[in-house]
Amino acid sequence: MLYKTLSICLFFSLCSITYAQDSFTIKGSVVNANNLKPIENANIICKNLFAISSKTGEFIIKNVPKGSYTFNISHIGFNVKKVTVFVNSETEILPVYLEESNTTLQEVEIIAKSKQRQTKETPLVSYSVSKTFLDTNRENSLMQTLSKIPGVSTINIGSGQSKPTIRGLGFNRVAVVQNGIKHEAQQWGNDHGLEIDQQGIENIQIIKGPASLLYGSDAIAGVVDIQPNKTPLPNSFGGEVNILGESNNDLIGVSAGITTRKDKWFYRGRLTYRDFGDYKVPTDKINYENYVFELHEKNLRNTAGNEADASLGIGFVSEDIKSETVFSNVNAKNGFFANAHGLEVRSSSIDYDHSNRDIDLPFHKVNHFKITNNTAVSVGEHNLQIDLGYQNNNREEHSEPVPHGYMPTPPNTKERLFIKNTYSLNFRDAFKPTKQHDLVIGLNTEYQNNNIGGWGFLIPEYNRFTAGIFAYDQLELNSNFHVLAGLRYDVGSVDTKAYYDWYPSTINNNDGSTSYVHLQRSKDKTLNFGSLSASLGVSYIHNKTSYKINVGRSFRMPLANELASDGVNYHMYRYEKGNLELDPEISYQLDVDINHTTKLFSLGISPFVNIFQNYIYLNPTSSYYETIQIYEYTQAKVFRIGGELNASTKISKNLQLDASIEYVYSRQRSGEKEGFTLPFSPPLSGLLSAKYQFNKILFFKQPQLIADYRITAAQEEIVPPEEKTEGYQVLNMSFLADIDVFKNNLPIKIRAKLNNVFNTKYFNHTSFYRLIDVPEAGRNISLSLTVPF
Amino acid sequence: MACSSDDHLEIDEEKPTISVNYTEGFPQGCALLTRGETYNFRALVTDNSQLAAYSIDIHHNFDHHTHDDQVTECSLEEIKTAVNPLIFVENYNIEGSLTNYEINVSITIPNDIDIGDYHCAYSVTDKTGWQSRTSVDIKIIE
Repeated sequence: MLYKTLSICLFFSLCSITYAQDSFTIKGSVVNANNLKPIENANIICKNLFAISSKTGEFIIKNVPKGSYTFNISHIGFNVKKVTVFVNSETEILPVYLEESNTTLQEVEIIAKSKQRQTKETPLVSYSVSKTFLDTNRENSLMQTLSKIPGVSTINIGSGQSKPTIRGLGFNRVAVVQNGIKHEAQQWGNDHGLEIDQQGIENIQIIKGPASLLYGSDAIAGVVDIQPNKTPLPNSFGGEVNILGESNNDLIGVSAGITTRKDKWFYRGRLTYRDFGDYKVPTDKINYENYVFELHEKNLRNTAGNEADASLGIGFVSEDIKSETVFSNVNAKNGFFANAHGLEVRSSSIDYDHSNRDIDLPFHKVNHFKITNNTAVSVGEHNLQIDLGYQNNNREEHSEPVPHGYMPTPPNTKERLFIKNTYSLNFRDAFKPTKQHDLVIGLNTEYQNNNIGGWGFLIPEYNRFTAGIFAYDQLELNSNFHVLAGLRYDVGSVDTKAYYDWYPSTINNNDGSTSYVHLQRSKDKTLNFGSLSASLGVSYIHNKTSYKINVGRSFRMPLANELASDGVNYHMYRYEKGNLELDPEISYQLDVDINHTTKLFSLGISPFVNIFQNYIYLNPTSSYYETIQIYEYTQAKVFRIGGELNASTKISKNLQLDASIEYVYSRQRSGEKEGFTLPFSPPLSGLLSAKYQFNKILFFKQPQLIADYRITAAQEEIVPPEEKTEGYQVLNMSFLADIDVFKNNLPIKIRAKLNNVFNTKYFNHTSFYRLIDVPEAGRNISLSLTVPF
Repeated sequence: MACSSDDHLEIDEEKPTISVNYTEGFPQGCALLTRGETYNFRALVTDNSQLAAYSIDIHHNFDHHTHDDQVTECSLEEIKTAVNPLIFVENYNIEGSLTNYEINVSITIPNDIDIGDYHCAYSVTDKTGWQSRTSVDIKIIE
C-alpha cells in the first residue's frame, strides 16, 4: 500500500524545428517519475492534433501552426490532465503532473512491481519507506513517524526529539545513514534526538537486524538508511511549501523546498522552521517517587523548542557520471522539563509558567552541519560509488549551576559542551563477473574527533578511527532463487584523553590525614579493535509467497564513554564507570521473512533469534561512590527472540484494513543481571488500522479517513532501575485529501490529524520522561497544508 | 536454541525501602540541628532479599535548588552564598545478608560551618542494584 498513491510526472521536452516559418513539430516524451520508466500509449490530444506515446514514451506531432493549444493527456491508471502550451519558434518546457486514478489501481501496482520484485529477490530482510508513507503518517519527529512500522519504535524526550529503536535496541546499536554517510552525533546520550530535517526525505530503507556487513560498527541492531533523493528530470522545476500547525504544543512549522534541473546540472534547496511551546499531558500533577509536581494548565513545564534547518544540493548528471553534493544544517533549541532534570528533582526561582513558549534552563541547543558528496561513475562493467562526508555536531547543555558533592557552585550555566567532527569516505564497486553474480566490494573509513567542555563531565575527549573492507555477492540460481553471501573485516582505534575535575575533592587517607585532590576522571589511552562480520542468506519466491532466511554476525566497537567514563552523572544520579577491558560487541542473528500477497490480502511474518556474545550495558551495582550509586559498564551474554506479524486486506474497493503485532523477548544469560531483560525493552504491541477511501466529498479529491488503534501490553519485564509500565490503548485519526484550487496546477494536499483522540493518560515504557513518571502527550490536533508548484 | 532451563531463574524485582517516619527516625522534616552538637542519624531500611549499602549526604540548600520529599513544607531562609558549608558524604556497607536494618550514624555538626538550610539525603541499595532514596529538609543553627 506504500506504493499506491503514485504521483506521476509527465514531462515534455518540446522542440520546435523551424523548417517552415509558422509550422512546427512538437516532440516530447512521457515518463513515470516514480521509476523513471517511459509510459507507453499515453494519449496526447488537442482538437485535430493527436499523438500516442511510443514504447520509449516519446511522441511527435508534426505541422503544428503557431498558437496556443490545450492538450488533454491521458493514460489508463492516471487522471486526465489539461496542459496549455504556446507554440512558436522557441523551445518550451512543460512539466505536467498526473494524479493516479482510483479505479485502475491494479495497473499502477503492476508498474511498481519491478521495484518490489527487487526487494523480494534480495535475501536481506529490509523494509522500504516511501515519501507517501512519510507524508501520510508524519509526526513531530522523523522517528515518531517511522514508529508505525512494526519492529521500529523510539526513545523520546519531549515532543520533538526521538531516536530510533529497532526491535528494542537503540542508541549506538542502530546506525542512521543519510546519503550513504553514517549520521554521527551524540547517539549514546539519552536526552536528545536525531538532528535530521524530516521534511524533504523521499525514501528510507530500514533493516531490522544486524547489518555490520554493509554499514560497519553500530549497525549491530539495524539501520535507518535515508537514501539520496531522486535525480530530477531534465528541464524540470518543482517545489512545495508545507505549513503545519499543532494544538497540543502550539506548534507552527513552515518548510519550503525547490528542485530544478536544466540539462546536466540540478539543484535543490529546502528551508524548514518550527517553533513550539510546552506540550500538554493529560494530568494536573506528576507524582515522581515522593515528589509531587503541580502542572500549570497541564503544560509540561519548559518543554518548548524551535528548529531551523536549511539544505542545498548541487548535482551533475551525464551518461557515465552522477554526482551530488549536499550541504545541510540543522539547528535546534529545546527546553527540558524543569521540575526534574534527568532524575534530579529541582526547584527554581525561574518563573516558568509566565509563558508556555519561552525556553528557560535547563535546555540544550544543538547544531549539526553536514556536507555529503555522492558520486557514481560507470567504467565499463563497473559501477563505482564514492561517498564523502564531513559532519560537525555541536551540542551545548545548559542548566542552573548547583553545587554537588565536593563541586562548588559552577560559574555559569554551560554544563556540557560536545563538539564532534566526523570525516567519512566510502567506496564501492558493483559489477557482474558473470550473468548470475552481482558482486560488490567496498571500503568504509571514518574518523571522529570529539571535544568536550563545560563544568559537567560525562564522556572524555577522544579520537576514533575505523576502517572496514567488505565483499558480497548476490547469486541468482534461478529467477526465483537467490543467495547472498558477504564478508567484512573492520579495524578501529579509540584514543581517549585524560580529564581532571576542575575542583578538588576531599580524600580521607588511611593514615588519618586529609588531602584535596583534583580527581582524574578519564585516562589517556589508546585501544585497538578488530572484528569480522559475515552474512549469508537465501531468498525463494514461489508463486505469491516469498521466503527469506538470513544469518549474520555483526559487531559494534565500544564507545569512549563505555570504555573510559569515570564520573558522576548528576542528572541520572549515578556514578558511571567505564571499563577498558570491554571487547567489541558481537551479535549473531537468524532472520526469517515470509510474505504472502494476493489481490485480496497480504500476510507477512518476520521472526528472529539473536544472541549477543557480550552485550555492553551500564549495570547498577549495589555500591556507592560519594553517596552516589555506582553504575559500571559490563558485558553479558544476551538471548533475544521476537518478530513482527502483519496482515492487510481490502474489505471493499474503498476500505482497507491493516494489522500488525511486534514482540521482543530479551534475557541476560550471564553477569550481574542474569535472568533480567535489557533496559528499555519495548512491550508487546499491536496496531490496527482502517483506511477508507471516499470518492469525492465537496471540493476534497481522493479523501481518505484513517484510524490507527494502538494496543500495547504492560511491560512487566524490567531491569534496575526501571519501573513496570502499564498497558494502554490509543486512537489516532487522520484525514487526507487533495484540493484543486487552481486549474492546471497541482492540487493542494491537506492532512488533518487527531492524535490521542480520547486524551488518554498513558506511559510509554521507552520514553525518557517515563523515568520520572511523566505521561505521553495528550490530545493533539494537527493541520498540514502542502502547496506544490 | 539457548532458550531453556534457566528461564525460571528467580530475579529480584523489589526495591529496598527507606524511612525516617518512626519515633526514633532522625532527622525529621524541618528539624533544627545546633552547631557543635552530636546527633544520631537514624533511618529504617528493609529489603525482600538482601540489603547491601547505604549513604548519608548532608549538603546546603542556600540556593533553594531542591526540596525534600517529606510531607511537611519547611520555611526556608533567604538565598545566600555558601562560604564554608557542611559537606558530609559517606557510604557504608550493610554486612550479613540482612533484610531489616537500622541506620544509626553519629555525626557531630562542626562549629565553624555556615548555618542555614540543609538537606539530609539517605539512600540504600540491595544486592541486586535496586536503590531507594529519601531526603529531609533541615536547618543548622548557632
